[in-house]
Amino acid sequence: MADFLDLFSRRRWLRAAAPLVAALASARAQVGNSLVIPGKRPLLVHNDFPEDAETPLAHFRTWLTPNDVFFLRQHLPRPEVDTSAWRLQVTGKVTRELRLSLDELRKLPRHTVPATLECTGNGRGFFRPRVSGIQWGRGAIGNAEWSGPRLSDVLKLAGADLRAPMVEFDGADRGVAATPDFIRSMPTSKGLHPATLLALDMNGQPMPELHGAPCRLIVPGWDGTSWVKWLVRISVTERPHDGFYMNPAYRIPKYPVPPGASAPPSSLEVIEGMPVKSIIAAPLEDARLPFGPVRVSGVAWAGEQAVEQVEVSVDGGSRWSNATLSSPKLPFAWRLWEFEWKPAERGYYTVMSRARDSAGRVQPIQPSWNPSGYLWNGIDRVGVTVGERG
Amino acid sequence: MRVLFYGVALAGGLLAAEDAAGAGRKIEQQSCIQCHGLRLVHSQRLSRQAWNREIDKMIRWGAVVRDREALLEYLTTNFGDDKPVPAPELSADGSGRK
Repeated sequence: MADFLDLFSRRRWLRAAAPLVAALASARAQVGNSLVIPGKRPLLVHNDFPEDAETPLAHFRTWLTPNDVFFLRQHLPRPEVDTSAWRLQVTGKVTRELRLSLDELRKLPRHTVPATLECTGNGRGFFRPRVSGIQWGRGAIGNAEWSGPRLSDVLKLAGADLRAPMVEFDGADRGVAATPDFIRSMPTSKGLHPATLLALDMNGQPMPELHGAPCRLIVPGWDGTSWVKWLVRISVTERPHDGFYMNPAYRIPKYPVPPGASAPPSSLEVIEGMPVKSIIAAPLEDARLPFGPVRVSGVAWAGEQAVEQVEVSVDGGSRWSNATLSSPKLPFAWRLWEFEWKPAERGYYTVMSRARDSAGRVQPIQPSWNPSGYLWNGIDRVGVTVGERG
Repeated sequence: MRVLFYGVALAGGLLAAEDAAGAGRKIEQQSCIQCHGLRLVHSQRLSRQAWNREIDKMIRWGAVVRDREALLEYLTTNFGDDKPVPAPELSADGSGRK
């Protein structure tokens, strides 16, 4: 009888019911409004399938962005890759064709590069007039340590003709129906850069499936589209690849066009490199803050350059003050910045941030509008209210 | 009598509009979800011309659109550039899952 009662004691019951409660909760998460992305803490979702989601600004307080909150941008459904059967083919203008296993890649000299990865269309939602495509806010960006062999070492192993101007990359992902395959190419000179890697690890963990396991191309300082995931083929070629994702996609007008204008394909050029940019991670847009000191903080990055300076304005861009930069000054990797603001009075303020890089580039007030909404890097701004109203 | 007539006409009109929206929604289901989720579509606010271009592109990429006009009408009416872009939804925690 005592046992019988014990069975129904609250603690026992809770322990027994825990798996059921968890199952119900997860079923509800799937059936209800919200969706779950395996391996990810909550992200701001723009598409469920394939997963396109940005990182909430609250996570931009650490120099390395944890893998489980790193943004996702997928053109095509994620492929199923059997790591033991997986091979990386190296072909084209080479003297020795290669089919490298993961073990063989792991045996090559390993290098680690901290680099910021930003979606080419990050900030598209700020362009006016609006353009089609995912309406990214600020968060299609993250900074990670990428590790693996250098692309140049693998090209040399294959006896690649290094005078050939281009290298082409194909991932295991395939287009559904007649959707074009995702293939990219880049100049051999960038391919031979010591920071261009075939990454097998991301922040010290094996490359997550969602981020291109087992091997992802790392092109520090260049737009995310160049960082081909789920790599299966590298070809040394005479000509740039001419598929959809090289032409007309991921191109911008050679000469800026009026907002809303169309640009014929012949007037476009491939994006190489990224502009200088900073974002405000805190406070958030429309925040209501208590009267007192405010910590304004964010991140800044500059493609292949390093960030030299971030300035903050709390009066709509009239006067600017230096923010404190807290991470090492490196090419490719972002820097954290912060600014201690002591509002003199209560009221509504427009807070802005602007970055300058080692090449002297400065974030513009008005970035060039372009038909696909790439490379938004306007001076960032948030409106906040300090203190009680009246 | 006149009131009744207008009442019936109005109800008929509303039903027809509802039907058209329903037809558009059905065509969207049939045409788009083989390749991507509908959130990708519903998170954008585009002009009629821009939706038209998107439909063209998707047909080139293999989408089978049974009633192009109905789809264009549905997208323009519900996701036109006269409406604000919705804030993206936060996913639930999936960090413990494979």
